[in-house]
Amino acid sequence: MKILFYTGKGGVGKSTMAASAAWQLSQKSRVLIVSLDPAHNLGDIFCVSLNGREKRMNDRLLLREVDLHKLSRDYLEREIGVLTRTYSYLQALNLDRYFSVLKYSPGIEEYALLTSIEETIRREKDFDFIIFDTPPTGLTLRFLALPQITITWIDRLAQIRRQILDKRHTIQKIRGPASEEEKKQEVKLAYDEKDDPVLNRLMALKANYESLTGILQGPDSGVVLVFNPDMLSLRESERLVEGLRDINLPLRLLIQNKVTEENRAIAGQVVAELRKMVGDIPLLQVALSAQIACGLDSKLYDIPEDLVAPLDWRR
Amino acid sequence: MQGFGQGQREKVLSLTCMEQQELENVFALLLLGSFVGFPAPPTFLAVELLPFMEREMQVLGQRAEDACDMLGQMMGTLGVD
Repeated sequence: MKILFYTGKGGVGKSTMAASAAWQLSQKSRVLIVSLDPAHNLGDIFCVSLNGREKRMNDRLLLREVDLHKLSRDYLEREIGVLTRTYSYLQALNLDRYFSVLKYSPGIEEYALLTSIEETIRREKDFDFIIFDTPPTGLTLRFLALPQITITWIDRLAQIRRQILDKRHTIQKIRGPASEEEKKQEVKLAYDEKDDPVLNRLMALKANYESLTGILQGPDSGVVLVFNPDMLSLRESERLVEGLRDINLPLRLLIQNKVTEENRAIAGQVVAELRKMVGDIPLLQVALSAQIACGLDSKLYDIPEDLVAPLDWRR
Repeated sequence: MQGFGQGQREKVLSLTCMEQQELENVFALLLLGSFVGFPAPPTFLAVELLPFMEREMQVLGQRAEDACDMLGQMMGTLGVD
């Protein structure tokens, strides 16, 4: 199964390219296309109404829109549920409702996005391709970097946690076995790594993020960069390439969209600039579609260029 | 002699206990710092661990309460009258 992320500046045609590639791939393979962009227009491209759900276009093509707000809400509700159960005594004082303030925490949306990608990758085994249409560059880089940033933090926290357990162990040893009377009053603290819920949770999270990073950096995943023949989108693409390099994600294909006879010269310049950074990654040029002007029922996803051939990077 | 040994043991114990509490305090502060305006790990990490952090939060609160008499507390631990 191959996993593709279509990225680029807002408005360059990420969604259209992703949708067209999905359509072309679905002629021979089973494809799932997921829109992570809060400004969903996957449905508009295929002329169907998705509203944060999924829809089967044909036997081999499934469209899905992810509702970010709902995802973050569900995640937080789950966590607030655990908190409320753990601190159940607070219910007696009616203080548990203060936990609900957590829903305003920053950073939760990226996490919800990442969780959704992870769930999709782990659950959907019946597809040959999963295509993600991503939100604009800034947010995309943030959530793609999230697993690695998190692992760094987990390592540091686990280190401190181990020191705490070590100290507790020392205290336990100096103190010796407690008498029966003391045992009754004693607050039991975990000092063994196996018994400490905090360390266990940290290690579980770490294993999870390492496996996700492995999948994202692996031979079956890749990023497709979509850009236009203009300087603004070139600059943002350069930033994206740098960002991807930092987090070690493989760039597989460049698509230059909206090329016309008039802008062919500047298109060449933009490609030459980008080539200096990325080397010999395959490049596709897609002409500005004439169908945009054709009215509401035009098939925006049906473009003449072959978007599929360069996606076979291993065969 | 037994009483003397016990005394020494208690002394070491209280010092180690303090060290442990300080570490727990640092752990909680690192993890929950974002809620009090510190640069902090991704918020969801804090949210994930929050259910198991009751003790650390108590320590954190205790430390904040004692903050105005840090010197006194340290002298107490070191046995300086």
